[in-house]
Amino acid sequence: MKTLAQHTKDVPASRAFRPAVVFLPWVACVAVAFAVQLVAPALFDDYWVNVLRRVGVFVIAAVSLNIVNGITGQFSMGHAGFMAIGSYIGASTTYTGSLLLHGSVGDDSFAVQGTMLMLGGLVAGACAAAGAGYLVGLPSLRLRGDYLAIVTLGFGEIIRVLLELTSKQVDTADGARANPFAAFFSFNGPTGFFGTPAYASNFWIWLFVAITCVVAYRLKRSSSGRAFLSIREDEIAARAMGIDLTKYKVRAFVLAAAFGGVAGALFSHTGVNPSPTDAGFQRSFDIIIMVVLGGLGSISGSVLAAILLVLLPEMLRGLQEYRLVLYAVLLIVMMLVRPQGLFGVKEVWDLWGAKRKARGGTP
Amino acid sequence: MSTAPATLLEASDIGITFGGLKAVQGLSLRVPTGALHGLIGPNGAGKTTAFNLLTGVYQTQTGSVTLAGTTLSGKRPHEIALAGLSRTFQNIRLFGELSVLDNVMLGSHLRGTHRLIRTVFRTPAFVRQEEAMRERALELLGIFGLQGLAAEQAKSLPYGDQRRLEICRALATEPKVLLLDEPAAGMNPSEKKSLASTIRSIRERFGVAILLIEHDMGLVMDICEHITVLDHGQVISAGTPRFVQDDPKVIEAYLGVVEEEGTGNGERGTGKASLGKASAG
Amino acid sequence: MGYELLQILTVTIAVGSLYALVALGYTLVYGVLKFINFAHSDVFVLGAWTSFTTAVFLIATQGIDSANPPWWLGVLVFLSALVVCGGVGYCIERFAYRPLRKAPRLNVLITAIGVSLLLQNVGQITGPTIARSEQGSPLATLPFGATPKRMPTLLPEVVLNESTLAKGQAQGGAARGVVVLDQQITLEEGRQYRLAITRMQAGSDGALRTIRESLSLAVESGTYAAGTELRTTPRRTPEELSGATYELRRGPRVPINLIDVIIVVVSLSLMVGLQVLIYRTKMGSAMRALSHNVETASLMGINTNRVISFTFVLGSVLAASAAFLYPMKYPGLNQTAHGIWVLLGLKAFVAAVVGGIGNVRGAVLGGFLIAAIEFFGAWAYAPLRDVYVFAVLILVLLYRPNGLLGKAVMEKV
Ligand SMILES: Nc1ncnc2c1ncn2[C@@H]1O[C@H](COP(=O)(O)OP(=O)(O)OP(=O)(O)O)[C@@H](O)[C@H]1O
Ligand SMILES: [Mg+2]
Repeated sequence: MKTLAQHTKDVPASRAFRPAVVFLPWVACVAVAFAVQLVAPALFDDYWVNVLRRVGVFVIAAVSLNIVNGITGQFSMGHAGFMAIGSYIGASTTYTGSLLLHGSVGDDSFAVQGTMLMLGGLVAGACAAAGAGYLVGLPSLRLRGDYLAIVTLGFGEIIRVLLELTSKQVDTADGARANPFAAFFSFNGPTGFFGTPAYASNFWIWLFVAITCVVAYRLKRSSSGRAFLSIREDEIAARAMGIDLTKYKVRAFVLAAAFGGVAGALFSHTGVNPSPTDAGFQRSFDIIIMVVLGGLGSISGSVLAAILLVLLPEMLRGLQEYRLVLYAVLLIVMMLVRPQGLFGVKEVWDLWGAKRKARGGTP
Repeated sequence: MSTAPATLLEASDIGITFGGLKAVQGLSLRVPTGALHGLIGPNGAGKTTAFNLLTGVYQTQTGSVTLAGTTLSGKRPHEIALAGLSRTFQNIRLFGELSVLDNVMLGSHLRGTHRLIRTVFRTPAFVRQEEAMRERALELLGIFGLQGLAAEQAKSLPYGDQRRLEICRALATEPKVLLLDEPAAGMNPSEKKSLASTIRSIRERFGVAILLIEHDMGLVMDICEHITVLDHGQVISAGTPRFVQDDPKVIEAYLGVVEEEGTGNGERGTGKASLGKASAG
Repeated sequence: MGYELLQILTVTIAVGSLYALVALGYTLVYGVLKFINFAHSDVFVLGAWTSFTTAVFLIATQGIDSANPPWWLGVLVFLSALVVCGGVGYCIERFAYRPLRKAPRLNVLITAIGVSLLLQNVGQITGPTIARSEQGSPLATLPFGATPKRMPTLLPEVVLNESTLAKGQAQGGAARGVVVLDQQITLEEGRQYRLAITRMQAGSDGALRTIRESLSLAVESGTYAAGTELRTTPRRTPEELSGATYELRRGPRVPINLIDVIIVVVSLSLMVGLQVLIYRTKMGSAMRALSHNVETASLMGINTNRVISFTFVLGSVLAASAAFLYPMKYPGLNQTAHGIWVLLGLKAFVAAVVGGIGNVRGAVLGGFLIAAIEFFGAWAYAPLRDVYVFAVLILVLLYRPNGLLGKAVMEKV
């Protein structure tokens, strides 16, 4: 039998490159973004258009958490910590950047440059969160499930405490110019970081929602994705098959954290002021519930669950006080009745395409 | 077997204790290229533990293991797999939620490259490798008559198919030495018969050496050229099937167990019964 | 500074023994079921809520003078916490965990998180009022509600190692809030002083009653001649002070409070009791058998469900005891679920892990260790108090994953 290397060489070029499969998803991303941006205001009033932005942020958060909790089976409870890192770094990039470059924040004349700053902040936030993900991922190699959960929980709490210790926000151009570095990291302690302009329109948010989903799905349906899943299924067997647990667990953490950072950075540009409590476990639980409900390992399941769980309390106002109680009951009942979540590791479309041809590779 | 072939896998004096229990002690093994060796012994003798030591699941506390000249002891399990040692598990460890095809494709993972950028952008290099993995996996499944089940979830397969799938997955790693832990457990006689011929043909076709743990003496005596017998973590006998079968120490180990167990669980009784069958056949 | 460190040490010992009590619950459950009962910290919080609610309810409905609570109030409150927590602990195991005994670890973990969330948030709902003040404002609701509360005093505040510096006749000064003593006194730096005053006062019915009260001296250290006007809090009028006798009590450099002693004594007796239970009783040996190997234990005729239920109830009862004692020392029950209280439970968890989860002595050791790290750390730099604890957790897990006293277990393959 030929080795994999020989086999790979022998695959004909015609099968190696199919433009439609490769490029269409990206086109679809842009299309989705435009569609939401243009259609939403026609259908809903301002309030609901705003809710839609929140929905998008949580979809990104849930899908990214699913990479590590669902697909890789490493139960992280500190996702809000990564989001908060992205939030603050992103917000401060735009805010401090505007002060430095323009002298004030949120001017209409500076909106285009401001949006560029936001995108820069997104990248910076994602990188910072990914760095934190790397730091958290490393100990995860040594820890079994429940310990890892606690360590990540502690990580979120540490982020919260550290954010509370930051100094007062610098809100003048002179102040920022005097010491840009210090100004950038002055996150305003327990009160939270104010005044970031709401540059993240539905277009940007849903563009990143779509990109996150494409990336997550392509990851899942790839050799790396199989490695992630194998770790979740059976670490010992995965190791025996030559999977480097260290590498893949850290990869999963870094990826999840990076997209969590993106979600956070977008969130702080929707008119919501990031505050240290955002890093705490309450927010992490919210996202965990979305992942568990949608199905551990199901990208589309996470998307649906996130949409549902953000919209539900909005629609049933009287529910607010009981929201978390309901979520908790949901979580327990789910584990007793349908532990794999609504869709398990499958995708929504797998359900009605039930038994299609054998497929394990690329979509 | 004319001239002695080169030693491929060599374990010398390996051992481990679990809180006072000497599970394996001073075990030495030598598996030449293309060999089919057996490892037998009563329940709890330390056979599976020996596999775990060889594959790095447990760290050896004494001795060393080499594969084709490179030292394996101290390496981590995935490095050992990469070096060319692959195994199946006594208590089947498939990736249950994954499809049969995915299980085998995962086997060839370690022979590929997996860059995130390539994965996300679906570059030709990525697609090529993915296609190659799939083709290889289907080919392997074909050898074991499992290609029709490629899309099924691994955990939904019947027991015998799961055992075959594990062998299939292990072969996908392109091993030099294949370690099989009780592959015939739970199979009926006709399945066992076909398994025996499959094992032989694997050796021819893939050129791998095979180390086999098996309680079914008929099967072991039939297909192995060399057998090592463990009891209480120590080698009590080693040699050709005929030699081992007649070794009084081996008979004592098995019979002793049966006496000890007396009214105990029936599982151990099979040791004696099978041994008897082997002598007869 | 030396005295300051000694003071921190007393706090460490008191709070450490409470951490140890809660940590024991984590460890016991882990011992028999090999999983971390995330909801344990919430059982602890529940115990504190129950203590508060019962205390306020009894005080409001039984006409208890909240300044001088009778001894049985504390006992009843303690019992209520034990019963509620024990019952909830039993139910958690019976209805949430038992159906998942054979399920994958991840599912059990998620369920545990769910149970934890449930307890926290049910407690946060503001339910119907069950006790009102005389003016009719609500004091306690069931469930507990989200507003900050203050635990009523169940035990008078007593510093055990106080001494009497001077005794004599006191009188009021020219104005309100001033007292004049009949002898020269010297107040040292770094100590607390108070005047124990005994005076007569006419009640509303006209009869004279003896009043004993404690005034603290609001003056700086130094020597004050007899007849000097000394300011006090609370402020008393010259009329009130006429004919009063005083006793000048000098606070120790390192105060030892009655409550601290009670905490340590109760905790230690519970720990000793637990040791006896585990190593000297039939139930204890069943628990040990289970922690060794569940299957073998059940083959040997041990009713595993009963032992597991018992273990849960035992752990919950220990948490309840800690939860009863803790608010007696720190009465602020504010920021209930989301803040300090859950963190307290988590610290106990860290204690269990650091000591070596599954190891009873480890839990006790871990409890004291974590308290020491927390309080001495806070002394060094207070805002990082919680960070120290989690940093220690991460370090221990990385370098001694089985904790200080735990032993390594290898998964059988
Ligand atoms: N991780 C471990 N911790 C403690 N003891 C272990 C561990 N792994 C194996 N043992 C013990 O080592 C001894 C040898 O076990 P092993 O599984 O190697 O036996 P075996 O020869 O494979 O038996 P069988 O034929 O039943 O599979 C047994 O007594 C077993 O209980
Ligand atoms: Mg075995």
